[in-house]
Amino acid sequence: MLMVILAALLKFAAIVLGFVMVLATLLTLIERKQSALMQNRTGPNRAFVFGKNPLSAFVGQLIADPVKVLLKETFDPPHADTWLHRLAPGLAFIPALLMWVVIPFGPGPVPGAEGDNFFLMADLDAGVLVVFAIASLSVYGSTLGAWASRSAFSLLGGLRTAAQMVSYEVTLGLNLVGIFMIYGSLNLNDIIWAQAGYDAATGFQNAYFLGFIPKWGIITQPFAFIFFLAASIAETKRAPFDLPEAESELAAGYFTEYSSMGFAVFSLGEFIGIVVVAALGATMFLGGWHIPGLPIELTAAGQPVIASLATWLSVAAFLFKVVLLVLLQMTIRWTLPRFRYDQLMHLGWVYLLPLSLANVAITAFVLFLTR
Amino acid sequence: MATVTVRRRELDFWEKTYVKEVGRGLAITFRQLTKNLLTREDVATREYPEVRRKYPERFRGRHRLMRREDGTVRCVACMLCSTACPANCIHIVAGEHDDDRVEKYPVSFEIDLLVCIYCGFCEEACPCDAIRMDSGKHPLPSFTRDMQRIRKHQLLEEGGLSVAEQGGRSK
Amino acid sequence: MPTLKIDGREVTVERGTTILDAARKVGIDIPTFCYHPGLTKPANCRMCLVDTNKAPKPTPACYAECMDDMEVSTQSPEIVKTRKAVLEFILLNHPVDCPICDQAGECVLQDHYFKYSATPSRLAHKKVHKPKVKRLGPDVVLDAERCILCTRCIRFCDEVAKETQLEIVNRGEHSEITTFPGKQLDNPYAGNTVDICPVGALTSVDFRFRTRVWMLQSSDGVCPECSRGCKTRTDVFENVPRRTKPLHNPRVNDWWMCDEGRLAYRDYQALPRMEGPAAQVEGKRRVVTNVEAIEAAALELGAVAQRQKIGVVATPWFTNEDAWLVAELLRGPLAGARIYLGGRADGTADEILRMADKNPNRAGVEAIFEAAGLKAAPLSALDTAGLEALLVFGDQHALDEAGLEKLERVPRRVVVSAFQTPLWKMATTFLPARTHFEKVGTFTNFEGMVQRLEQAVNAAASCKSYGYYAMKLAELMGHTISFVRPEDVFAEVARTVPGFAGMTWQGLAPYGMKLGEGVAPAEPPTLPQAAPPAAPTEA
Repeated sequence: MLMVILAALLKFAAIVLGFVMVLATLLTLIERKQSALMQNRTGPNRAFVFGKNPLSAFVGQLIADPVKVLLKETFDPPHADTWLHRLAPGLAFIPALLMWVVIPFGPGPVPGAEGDNFFLMADLDAGVLVVFAIASLSVYGSTLGAWASRSAFSLLGGLRTAAQMVSYEVTLGLNLVGIFMIYGSLNLNDIIWAQAGYDAATGFQNAYFLGFIPKWGIITQPFAFIFFLAASIAETKRAPFDLPEAESELAAGYFTEYSSMGFAVFSLGEFIGIVVVAALGATMFLGGWHIPGLPIELTAAGQPVIASLATWLSVAAFLFKVVLLVLLQMTIRWTLPRFRYDQLMHLGWVYLLPLSLANVAITAFVLFLTR
Repeated sequence: MATVTVRRRELDFWEKTYVKEVGRGLAITFRQLTKNLLTREDVATREYPEVRRKYPERFRGRHRLMRREDGTVRCVACMLCSTACPANCIHIVAGEHDDDRVEKYPVSFEIDLLVCIYCGFCEEACPCDAIRMDSGKHPLPSFTRDMQRIRKHQLLEEGGLSVAEQGGRSK
Repeated sequence: MPTLKIDGREVTVERGTTILDAARKVGIDIPTFCYHPGLTKPANCRMCLVDTNKAPKPTPACYAECMDDMEVSTQSPEIVKTRKAVLEFILLNHPVDCPICDQAGECVLQDHYFKYSATPSRLAHKKVHKPKVKRLGPDVVLDAERCILCTRCIRFCDEVAKETQLEIVNRGEHSEITTFPGKQLDNPYAGNTVDICPVGALTSVDFRFRTRVWMLQSSDGVCPECSRGCKTRTDVFENVPRRTKPLHNPRVNDWWMCDEGRLAYRDYQALPRMEGPAAQVEGKRRVVTNVEAIEAAALELGAVAQRQKIGVVATPWFTNEDAWLVAELLRGPLAGARIYLGGRADGTADEILRMADKNPNRAGVEAIFEAAGLKAAPLSALDTAGLEALLVFGDQHALDEAGLEKLERVPRRVVVSAFQTPLWKMATTFLPARTHFEKVGTFTNFEGMVQRLEQAVNAAASCKSYGYYAMKLAELMGHTISFVRPEDVFAEVARTVPGFAGMTWQGLAPYGMKLGEGVAPAEPPTLPQAAPPAAPTEA
């Protein structure tokens, strides 16, 4: 038992420190650089550490940012609820990290086989439900932080956060229902295997539509993917759904009154949220670690061979897909303008929710006809 | 009040989904992203302290006080600049000059750059070519308000030589 | 009574009237330099030349007397050309350094040049140079280059100041004003030469280079430095008086004032001004609000049951309105108090303007107190024995050490004054007063001439006039008198004080009224008064 916990902690540390945190840290800079280039600007290019070249400036900026944030004064607004004010960034940060517990970033045992996934911390049969459970917790961090700040801007941002996240969580969940129905599982490992074309009855026969199109979620549920993408951007509170922190209206929204590490943790949590959502999207719609045409070496027990090149290539593929989705989100963020608040609610409740429901109904109907 | 009603074209179903326009927007930003990664053609940023823009000749920057051939300040403290100043930012205290041909000179000459609106009326008003705004320099940031009140010696540091004929035709 | 025509306008004047005065009577403006109504007429500047049918050549209007059937032209082409020539001649060696000239903006030469010439100099040679900074006396500096040799200053010294100190030396273009050898322009009226100098040749050391004249804001006032009460103008820049100039009042000072009064404004800037009301708080004197200080003063005075144990020091620096309000206080709540009338000690006097009594309003205060049935003893008879409370108005009292000690022996001392003086130091309750620059009111001079005083400078919010404090104290002590404007108080003064009967606030403009005159108005002054210049009629 101890070994299991230790192994899970090690995996967690490896994936979180080795990938998520690194990516999130990089994103803070990449976002600025990317937006600059999109807008014909240069972006940060001044913090040289070794010689005057772009790489040096890039690395230097990565060092300078945290140093600057750490050196800032931690400020509690007068009359604010200090305790909650300081707790809130953590409340927003921890759920974003916790979600990684159930996301498989490498191939595990085929469905039905014994044993655990080496690339997964907790192989849960209700994996997706855990993701939702944890995701719905992250709204507390934002709203509590906003309320504890005792500032009009913060409070408005917090109210918007609560309303927006609750609204779009429904759509987010509904769009995954189709996936569960098609792949017949809530276990993320099994869903990926199903996307890779594995069928408990027939094995890898009929692994591709027409022989070459993978059975990924994006192929079987294209509309759900688009709705999921929209809803997930709304969940991460990024443009065009960035009303909770609309800087032109609310200063910085729910974290207006944060400085120093509080601010850093909030924004880092936000970037981790982006990565989580991208990972979820990659898992559900882009076949997770699956590379079309690349067979995974399996042991007799149905476990993938860890030492195999194909296995590690698959892990890389998963990470690549995550990065791709992250970049797509950022491109959208720097392309589309912000919605008005009523438009946001209108879109969520009048369009996305009924369409998602219709998508579920049609999927169910088609499945009923075909099976 | 006259009202003009502008009728916008009704959007059809596909336009209402905005799929095409969102796609086009993404294409544009993505195109600029890749293009700017490869070339610097479209990048409008200037690397400011190293690469400076050439200001137009008539740019009005920080003030300076010109000197005569003998190095003394050309200003005769006539206060026409402070009279012309719409912001009342020029404060001159006149004093008796040793040379009675010159008669008057500014004992202190202060310009409050925080108040100044850089309209250039002072150099227009100056009959002696003493105050000019052609230093091409910006007001600098400072830690106190008082540091923005630039004094005579600071104005003179910028000042160059002017050989314009001074005063009337009494030579 | 010759009847003549000036530019086609017929006018009948008394025999002996000059063409200039006749023309001004019908609103025709003839430019002048050397002419001054208060001085003799040398007719040397030639600016006032006019054409007449009685002389073959142009005639100086300031000197020539009107004749019957005279036809005068001030706008004929000949005269226009003559004026241009005269101006060109005057400006020939003038340095035209208007930007650094203190007179610029109020310079007659500048005005006349733009109105009558406005052509550039044709001089091909070098201009004649003369001394630029020549100290003529303690307060007067001559710039000989700017001088147009009108001799107004020389005539003033001879005729008004009665001290011959200035003269012209050298000839032709080298002529220049100077003092007689071994003499200085140091008569007590020397400052007037600066006022009457039509150009920037004579400047006051006191005002020289301080402020450009167009930045000044002027308000009429009365000089408080002696009981003559010369009509003055205070020029203010940035809420600080920069100079005092005499204004024309034929019934008091004509066009003049003494240097003592002219430069007195500096003394008020040199003295430390006290703007904080102070009162006893827990046994210590603290700065409090105005309202608290007045309440404290009322308590101190009210604590003395027997009114004859209260001493009041009034001051001849009260305006008539202040005096009336103080009289109300002394007649009502403080009836029976021992009253003294203070003020500055006597000074030098002369036959021209200066009076020995160096206070502005003794006559008015005495008249008003008398009407109120109050008897004021002079401060020299000060006796504080048995007094339990003291109310002192004003800070300019001729008090020696012994006098101050006597005052200090009184346990409760309420002082109303403007400056830091020994009186301020000894006060148990201090109420900050306004100076005469900050007040609106009227002064009565030694002859009983009542003149109006305009507010020249804004006072700090805590500083109020003596009358205001008297009014508030009376109100707190049970005698409600309520006025907002000094005009209303003056109306009350005119109603209750016999000498002021019939006077009105408006009626005091421009030259004031003499006590008793309100009942039977005197003849309006007949002295020549400059008419507003009319637009030149079409020739």
